[in-house]
Amino acid sequence: MFFSEMTARDAFKLTKKKMTEYQTEFLERMNAIEVDAHWFRRVFHTFAASFLFYYLLPDEEWINLGKIVLPIIIVLCMVVVEYRRIRGDLDHQRFFGLRNYEKKRPASYLYFGVGVLILFLLFPQQIAIPCILCASFTDPIIGESRYHLGKKRAYAIGFVISAFFFLVTWYRADWWVLILVSLLGATGAVIGEARKLKFADDDFMIQMVPAILLLLMWQGLLAMGINMLPPPLLHPL
Amino acid sequence: MENKNDTRKENIQKLLLRLELWFAPVLIIVPIGVSLFFLWDWYARGFSTGSSVHDGELFLGLLLFVGNLVFDIPFLRSLRMFSKKE
Repeated sequence: MFFSEMTARDAFKLTKKKMTEYQTEFLERMNAIEVDAHWFRRVFHTFAASFLFYYLLPDEEWINLGKIVLPIIIVLCMVVVEYRRIRGDLDHQRFFGLRNYEKKRPASYLYFGVGVLILFLLFPQQIAIPCILCASFTDPIIGESRYHLGKKRAYAIGFVISAFFFLVTWYRADWWVLILVSLLGATGAVIGEARKLKFADDDFMIQMVPAILLLLMWQGLLAMGINMLPPPLLHPL
Repeated sequence: MENKNDTRKENIQKLLLRLELWFAPVLIIVPIGVSLFFLWDWYARGFSTGSSVHDGELFLGLLLFVGNLVFDIPFLRSLRMFSKKE
């Protein structure tokens, strides 16, 4: 009886010891993993395209209210976090992937969030969707191409990719509208990305410049009695 | 034994501070999930009913899926390379 009790206790102790060792080793391995900040930033951009799910949310009264309130709350939280980081209440080191010049000014994810918020609340989805796609994909594609092929080719590639996004999202529009919108939108996106401003990040400008250009074109044509907007691309569930 | 416990606690604390490690799975899984949802939505409301109104979901689903994969692969490769070095 005593012998078997001891064996069970020993077995339990041995298992516990092995588990502890395994846990420690696992934690050490996890801590040894290094995340490449460069690719982390790129993936953060492409991740943002999933916000387009917003346009699939059902068209019901309380959800429509949430569609306005929730994005505002999220961006306000980001503003508070950034305010505290810049003031020094939050350690800069905890924000992985920030660039050096972002130490004393709001980080680009806040500009990105504000851009998406403005597009969601103030622009029709026909304009907002391609602009968000440009910020999500054109920006990292230009970044990568610039590194491998040089500035000029990178912007040319960025122009073609952006034009493709406008073509895909406006494919139901008249052919002349499709061509004009693609050229204007892609030009705006490349200008927004290429022009570096001190107080506005390119993640904000790449969304806003094409959106404002298209808004002006839409309203201008509307004043002349022509509605250039195609039917919406995404339909609520 | 106490030393081991301390090391474990220290490791857990270090891991909790590394927000990028917590974010990484979200950055990969959410867009792929959303793109698959777009594709499913196109299939359920568009393809199976013979309607072309929902083709937008198909385009965006494919765009999100391919676009994210293109950047996810080098990102994951960079993670693996660093862990191998260790």
